[in-house]
Amino acid sequence: MKAFSYVTVQTAASAVELVREQGRFLAGGMDLLGEMKEGLVEPALLVNVKALPGTREVVASPKNVSIGANVTLTTLADHPEIRRLLPGLAQAAEEAGSPQMRNVATVGGNLAQHSRCWYYRQRDVRCMKKGGPRCFARGGENKYHSLFTKTMCLSPCVSNLAVALAALDASVVVQRGANTVTLTLAQLYEKAWTEAKSHHSLAPDDLIVRVEVPVVAGALSVYVKIAEKNDFDWALVSCAAAGRIEGGTFRDVRLALGSVAAIPWQMKEVSAFLEGKSATAETAAGAADILLRDAEPREHNGFKVPLAKALVKRALLALAT
Amino acid sequence: MPWPKATRYLGKETPRVDGPAKVTGRAKFTSDVAPAGVLHGAIFRSKWAAARVKSVNLEKAKAAPGIKAAILAHEGEFDVRYYGDEIAAIAGTSKQAVLDALALIEVSAEPKDFVVKELDAVKTDSPRVAAGNANLTEGAAKATGDVEAAFAAATAIAETTVSTPTQVHHPMESHGHTVQWDGDEMTAWSSTQGVFACRDIFAKSMNVAQNKVHVICEHMGGGFGSKFSPGVEGALCARLAQAAGVPVKLMLTRFEQGLAVGNRPSSFQKLKLGAASDGTLTAFEIYSIGTPGYSSGANQGGGSGGASFPAPYIYKPAATRVKQGSVAVNAGQSCAFRAPGHPTASAGMEAVLDDLAAKLGMDPVEIRLKNDPNEIRRREYVIGAEKFGWKEKFKKPGASTGPVKMGVGCAGAAWMSGGRGTQAEIQVNADGTVEVRVGTQDLGTGSRTVVQVVAAELLGLDRDRITAHIGDSRLPPSGSSGGSATTASVSPAIFDACENVIAELKKLSGLDDPRGANWKVACAMIGAAPLQVRGKWREGLSTGGAGGVQFAEVAVDTETGFVAVKKILVVQDCGLVVNRLTCESQINGGVIGGLGYALYEQRVMDARTGFVLNPTLENYKMPGAADMPDIEILLIDMPERGVIGVGEPCTVPTASAIANAVANALGVRVPDLPITPDRVLAALGKVPKETATTMAERSREVESAFASVAAAPGAPWVDGNSGCHPYT
Repeated sequence: MKAFSYVTVQTAASAVELVREQGRFLAGGMDLLGEMKEGLVEPALLVNVKALPGTREVVASPKNVSIGANVTLTTLADHPEIRRLLPGLAQAAEEAGSPQMRNVATVGGNLAQHSRCWYYRQRDVRCMKKGGPRCFARGGENKYHSLFTKTMCLSPCVSNLAVALAALDASVVVQRGANTVTLTLAQLYEKAWTEAKSHHSLAPDDLIVRVEVPVVAGALSVYVKIAEKNDFDWALVSCAAAGRIEGGTFRDVRLALGSVAAIPWQMKEVSAFLEGKSATAETAAGAADILLRDAEPREHNGFKVPLAKALVKRALLALAT
Repeated sequence: MPWPKATRYLGKETPRVDGPAKVTGRAKFTSDVAPAGVLHGAIFRSKWAAARVKSVNLEKAKAAPGIKAAILAHEGEFDVRYYGDEIAAIAGTSKQAVLDALALIEVSAEPKDFVVKELDAVKTDSPRVAAGNANLTEGAAKATGDVEAAFAAATAIAETTVSTPTQVHHPMESHGHTVQWDGDEMTAWSSTQGVFACRDIFAKSMNVAQNKVHVICEHMGGGFGSKFSPGVEGALCARLAQAAGVPVKLMLTRFEQGLAVGNRPSSFQKLKLGAASDGTLTAFEIYSIGTPGYSSGANQGGGSGGASFPAPYIYKPAATRVKQGSVAVNAGQSCAFRAPGHPTASAGMEAVLDDLAAKLGMDPVEIRLKNDPNEIRRREYVIGAEKFGWKEKFKKPGASTGPVKMGVGCAGAAWMSGGRGTQAEIQVNADGTVEVRVGTQDLGTGSRTVVQVVAAELLGLDRDRITAHIGDSRLPPSGSSGGSATTASVSPAIFDACENVIAELKKLSGLDDPRGANWKVACAMIGAAPLQVRGKWREGLSTGGAGGVQFAEVAVDTETGFVAVKKILVVQDCGLVVNRLTCESQINGGVIGGLGYALYEQRVMDARTGFVLNPTLENYKMPGAADMPDIEILLIDMPERGVIGVGEPCTVPTASAIANAVANALGVRVPDLPITPDRVLAALGKVPKETATTMAERSREVESAFASVAAAPGAPWVDGNSGCHPYT
């Protein structure tokens, strides 16, 4: 780890002003410190954003839930309003990392985390995410990699929260210069979909300040994942679903898959397909087929197709029960 | 056996004497030792999987701020054989200074072609790992009886191909040492399974007399076979300390653990087993290959000499043909790993046995009762089946309904154990307190507690009157902690010393029995100089040979491929139980290790870079608390046999029993360990063609590798003789 300067800021505007190109924001540090220790990044300056006012709160109103970027995953998982209004989000938070990690990991950090691809994380591999010419996972060990890609990079988005929030139609408020901009989850990861080098759409001086989740009367949500271990392991595939069940039929349901693409994988067509259909295993299977239709399995990740289909079915049926 | 029948401590439950120190952080491990002025050491490792190193320039590193010593691992030109091979080492005043200076070391090298996967390395056009030598070495076929005739006459034949992973050593405490020189005398605080072995190896490598080397290991965080010697890191640490003239601490990082400290060799096994209509095994054949790392050899005994393993393991078919090969790859070398060879042997043999039972329509327990030559294990199957509820739980393979299928399986183990040679000294002070000194070490098995309770039992004292001193090469000698031999080697020496203490005290006090209530009176006769007596291991108090069987119950989700182990029942014969708590703790650990082998652990190599892709605990997956099944242990006490170690047999059958339970649940075998969700879904035929094609290609390569082993004439058979892996 290279020597660096450290500063604590009190306003988001000064945070983005200070961080510029060479700095990095530090919140929980779960991702950043790992990258620094591996020598993957060598920031000259760490801008501690943990003290930013208003970023540690969860505020629930009848219309929406506002979640500060510095809310920890433990808080998110345990928060009574989140559990009541957005159970899928609480489940996603609960499934991330270990208890020790969740105690310090933050909402902002979870969304902005970098690739977990084992080629990217290997200190001596110069892959496309590090500006190299090739993706080593292509033709290599790609068991944990994407089924859907637009670029040559096969690294998937593994943020649990991103998947749950995408299904919940949440938006992410980002401090950009003196102003804030609001992004959908699709927009937050769009650049990772279109540029191999990117982990997400945020510029180095873009700072996530909060997440806004709409509250819809009668809406349900759920998050399911399968990893190789029971706990403290990355999802092989995860699936979030949110929407309503009316008279035994699906209404306004959105699905998202994690660990299968550089973005939370969603298709508007799936929501249209589900609309008004009876909440049965057959309907769920139909939705899964559409969502996985364009999958491009690789040498070692084909299992993700049946796994994702199983999770879509379970998520939708869980929504209905 | 002369051990007492009515006991206060032996066979009872005594908490670890050093437990409080460990859980409060007071226990000092190697990394906690900090002699004045200690420097941080680190190793500079190869970034090539294979290269000819022409020169190494340490000048810039030496000149870096805080760097006090820099040394080469080799003089002159040399070959690096894997990613992580040692090239140089430096020591400096801070960890950061050392990490920064590592980046300044310049190496001139010619990279060479390399191969890191077994199935690539057996191909004739593969790069050679050792110039001039074939990668594949194999023993001559070892045959008994007329194998062809026996198969021709068999009622049923099962053919099963399995593979087992390279399992990497990841003890909780990494490998490392702190070394301090005082003139030509050397003190090493080592994380080791053998303080005397370390002393002798340090003396040799540093060219100093054995009586000038002092090795200390008060506490250590696991070794599992990988810490018998100081290792390359120990030699480099000692040389750095010598060069710097101040103490140096060199602890490996988790990343380095993933590359360079040893592993259990992989295996690909093609097994064929035939039986008569009553289930009696009549014919057996195996072809196998595996990799022990960059250096291969034709040792057929299992253990760490090659990738071979005992076959047909614990069973005795009348006619057998065994042909095993080891293939070198450009990857870290194997070493002893808890029950070397046995879990690998068990994974193949117990699989083909269950597949044969299915063909015969026999119950897996029945076929074992029919064929297991060991009377104790047969008894254990009967006891275990009853306790486990086998008759109610066992259904025909694949009979479980619903998306989540239940399955059960079982498997057996054998281990030589044994142990001898320890000496011990007991000092009795005039106040009646006792100090027991023995140069063993606590690998994690609870040796310090064993020493204390054996002495307390035989002297008739409360155990808190007794202090146990271990983990020091200046104490009376004891062997390395390996082969499940420690307790059986140490306990008799304490017994012998206690007898001598009692004899001395009788003489001194004139009392008929100075033990127990008379102890204080007897000890009052001891003058200013404490009473010191010695004892040594002797025949008749301990023995070898432990078996054990295990039963597993699993739930397999056929939609996601996820395997949940619900229950493991261990029936373990164990001679005289010295301390029930630490004995059961050993068995719990063995089961957990086996669970990792069954479901999670595997080294993943990248063919194009030659790198280990999972040198971290993020991706090298080990069982965690949430993965624990209900582990139930039935100890079959046989005090009449004396002390027998159980540290290794208890890890042998776990993975086989789990794999058999998964096969029982699904009705198809998942042929490869670890049994991960992708492999379960593949075995169920659920993966799309892109991945299925890759797997079919791999199967062809496996077959071709077996053909290479079968075709090669092979070197003369060498029977294993390391003493830690004979089997019965």
